[in-house]
Amino acid sequence: MAFLVWGCAGSLSRQWLVPAADTPDQVVIPAVPFFPQTEYQCGPAALAMTLVWSGVSTSPDRLTPIVYTPSIKGSLQPAMITAARRHARLAYVISSPQELMQELAAGHPVIVLQNLGLSWAPVWHYAVVMGYDLNTKRIVLHSGEARHTTTKMRVFTNTWSRSAYWGLLTLPPGHLPATATEVPYLQAVLGLEKAEKWPQAVLGYQAATQEWPDNFAAHMGVGNALYAMGDLPAAEQAFNTAVERFPDEGAAYNNLAQVLFELGKIKAAVSAAEQAVRLGGPLSEPYQETLRDIQRWSK
Amino acid sequence: MVTVLMLMLSLPYQTAMAALIGTEELVSSQKATEARAYIVSVLAREDIQQLLTARGIDPIEAQARVGALTDQEAIRMAETMENLPAGGNIAWIFGLAVLVFLVLLVTDLLGYTNIFPFVKKTVNE
Repeated sequence: MAFLVWGCAGSLSRQWLVPAADTPDQVVIPAVPFFPQTEYQCGPAALAMTLVWSGVSTSPDRLTPIVYTPSIKGSLQPAMITAARRHARLAYVISSPQELMQELAAGHPVIVLQNLGLSWAPVWHYAVVMGYDLNTKRIVLHSGEARHTTTKMRVFTNTWSRSAYWGLLTLPPGHLPATATEVPYLQAVLGLEKAEKWPQAVLGYQAATQEWPDNFAAHMGVGNALYAMGDLPAAEQAFNTAVERFPDEGAAYNNLAQVLFELGKIKAAVSAAEQAVRLGGPLSEPYQETLRDIQRWSK
Repeated sequence: MVTVLMLMLSLPYQTAMAALIGTEELVSSQKATEARAYIVSVLAREDIQQLLTARGIDPIEAQARVGALTDQEAIRMAETMENLPAGGNIAWIFGLAVLVFLVLLVTDLLGYTNIFPFVKKTVNE
């Protein structure tokens, strides 16, 4: 599949100069804590700032072992993302100046990855952006050892563009990013599942069902995460909602059948499993398996 | 006896783990559906169709081949198309046409399609 890497060269963006209509001219998020970085430790410091802002009790020293890679004297982006999830925070990646402005306007500080050097002699650096001012054309950020400093938008854009505008939000569960779109958001909540933060995953999926009521995966996510927590009655309720809203989706009946079965509601379980098999689709094999299992155990 | 009872109680739960359709699977399938719709919408553009026709590719056939891509291939193709710099200009349209050409070439190699007669098939023959 090597052909798919073709044509990814980016052009320098001028998006700063055309802000979205609904963002204010000036934003500074108050109460973003500051931790000065020690040598090479900008990753743990930046992550500690947004995590503490989001209500986690932590510090750069406590984050260092899980995000910092000594051999490269730095912190890789996936390590930053998984560390946020392990602290039960939604890790959401953005990739444009416009998204940055919208998130700041919504009150969400953003970790950004900058290359302060040159493309062929990179000096990678994480900072936390917490505001901007379109009148003075400056970005407000905590960076390195500087608390609440400002930098020219033009310089910031140049240094940030070299990471393809990589930005990271760490939000309390149940909070939607201002720029959230369906699939990337659901994938971010899936990350909470991977970290086995089930209650937070439930909140994340519930927020998705509010924002996108027609999203089937979001409704199923609520039930699946409740099930993983062992809250069968709540899972039953969630899957019941799913089959009411999406009567053509076999997966909803399949999962409802399993929960009903485990709750000892055998008759209802069999009929839900039969409905899943009737609806069929690409997942019809597991549906048939569920029905067989239920029938076998109920005899 | 207690052990046996515990084992019996835990068994339905274990089959349950295998039986639930996971959220990840549903999200992936939604993503693939969106990716296919996006590729099809791009292929439906008149300028793209002209470029394809000029290269001897039937646009209708090209649309049909999108269905032959796996979920992962469709997702990666759509992502690459979206990441092409500066949508709407000549370079972008040309880039899309080349991308489509390459994708169809690869599906030919895999034997899913048969648009390019010069490609030697690896399967189905």
